[in-house]
Amino acid sequence: MELEPRTFDREFDLAELLTGMPLARMAPILTTLLDGEFRLVTVDGRLMLGRAESFAQPHCVAIRHDLEPLGYLESASADEACLSAAAGMMELMLQLSARYLMAADLHIETVQEDYASLKESEARYKALSEELEARVRQQVETIETAQRQLYQAEKLASIGQLAAGVAHEINNPIGFIRSNLGTAQQYVGDLSRLVALMKTGDIAQCRAAWEQADMGFVMEDFAALLRESINGADRVTKIVADLKGFSSVDQAEEETVDLNDNLRFASNVLAGQLKDKVELVLELGALPKILCLPGHLNQVFLNLLLNAAQALADQGRITVQSEAAGNEIRIRISDNGCGIPAEQLDRIFDPFFTTREVGSGTGLGLTVCRDIVQAHGGRIDVESKVGAGTTFTVNFPIG
Amino acid sequence: MAEFDEVNRKITLKLVYYGPAQSGKTTNLMRLHDLLAPDLKGEIMTLETQNDRTLFFDLLPLGFRTPSGWLVKLKLFTVPGQVAHDATRKAVLSRADGVVFVADSQRAQSANNAEAFQNLEENVQRVGLDFSALPLVVQFNKRDLPAAQILSEDEINQRWAKAPWPLVFSSALIGEGVKDTFVRLLQQVYPALDKSFALQEIHGVDQQSFVAAVTGG
Repeated sequence: MELEPRTFDREFDLAELLTGMPLARMAPILTTLLDGEFRLVTVDGRLMLGRAESFAQPHCVAIRHDLEPLGYLESASADEACLSAAAGMMELMLQLSARYLMAADLHIETVQEDYASLKESEARYKALSEELEARVRQQVETIETAQRQLYQAEKLASIGQLAAGVAHEINNPIGFIRSNLGTAQQYVGDLSRLVALMKTGDIAQCRAAWEQADMGFVMEDFAALLRESINGADRVTKIVADLKGFSSVDQAEEETVDLNDNLRFASNVLAGQLKDKVELVLELGALPKILCLPGHLNQVFLNLLLNAAQALADQGRITVQSEAAGNEIRIRISDNGCGIPAEQLDRIFDPFFTTREVGSGTGLGLTVCRDIVQAHGGRIDVESKVGAGTTFTVNFPIG
Repeated sequence: MAEFDEVNRKITLKLVYYGPAQSGKTTNLMRLHDLLAPDLKGEIMTLETQNDRTLFFDLLPLGFRTPSGWLVKLKLFTVPGQVAHDATRKAVLSRADGVVFVADSQRAQSANNAEAFQNLEENVQRVGLDFSALPLVVQFNKRDLPAAQILSEDEINQRWAKAPWPLVFSSALIGEGVKDTFVRLLQQVYPALDKSFALQEIHGVDQQSFVAAVTGG
């Protein structure tokens, strides 16, 4: 084993034990005690303190430390007793010096040791924290992936609801257009028969057949049903145009829009799904245009409107209000439906909180609404009273 | 690892008294100072705190001259037993040629003994010594305490039956078993020393005279 350069338990020589002692002050003291000049030398004859030249016939006493003599104290003037006493005093001082040196060096050894183990544990903790960080990153990734999937599911659920509404809305005009076309086909048959009779040139027979087929009514009705069908086709065209507002949900491109347009659009989509006795009232104030993701906000408004419609059951009123207040746009969507119990009110924005039957809602609708609104720097609040209705207030900053 | 100083013709050994806090390591050293009469015996150096606990170490130097004129010097150290002073314990244990493990016989101290012994084993390896080759004596101290308070000799013998180290029962406070423990350690230390420095061949010291010289007969 390689020895440390300075181990605390090493053997000390006289020179080392004298380091740190005030030799300049000791010299005159020893001179006084020994009644004249003296020499303090190591075992191998090196002078440590006192007269440079050797004495001719000195008295000489060993200075011992531990078990061995480390040096000698020489004097020509002092008697043996005085010299021994002085040497004894020196020995006590060397013992104290050794005690101090050993304690100090041991202290240094342990501090270095502590420092080494500190660095070691620091390295260990660093490695551990890096590992933890990596694991956290991995977990966050997993959670984000799951969240994206859930949001996708919610979006699909919203689109499903929307599709159901749209289907109903389109089905209606398509239904009567189809029925009108059926009638028109019949009328064309009637006309064909009359045309064939007219080719025979028998006016009387033609007239009788005209009367019999009530062609006066047919022509009137034919015109009316074509008009009606054109109106129906126009309605379908409009619905399809409205749908384009939702087709941009995935395009995260910001546009500067008037939110009233988005509210009107969402209301239009909802209107087709409302029961007859439900009234939808728009009270829209003038709004400054703001930069936003219109498709996402459409999703928010439609979601809130669908919730309102669900709260109403068969009859009631949904009010959509907008206003510019100070440096904010405030949008309120209220219903006078069943309301939300106080104990549920705190939780409605929580993910997966739903009061609907399993399978009919993801429990993410309002969570997504809140996230979208917050992403726009806005906030969403709710007030509700059971039996009196619910109001959602959405605030967006202007500019 | 004994130090071999050709210039000053000196062989220096380091023996360490290890063990849990307040098991009597310092007391062992003080009794040895009183009991032993080697050629050369230094003063005991203690570094203790106000409440009599060892802060850094205690040191007792002993020695003798071989017939060949060499000085064999033994430095007996104690370590601080308190758990917190582990770095100091390790530094004192470094370069040790032999160890006395001073265990506390009190029943209540069994866990501390075990912990300290494990700490010894770990630290021996940490300072680069071979635990299986290290001369070691296990001393169960405080046999003077009331029997109800301490583990019986049978119990201890049973527990340590499979251990390869000599087991000594002692009462350091009244001086019993202290010298015996030390002699057992010297007997174990001698072979390695003889192998390294040819004590018998060159210096004319066999095991018996080695023990006799260190203890003073």
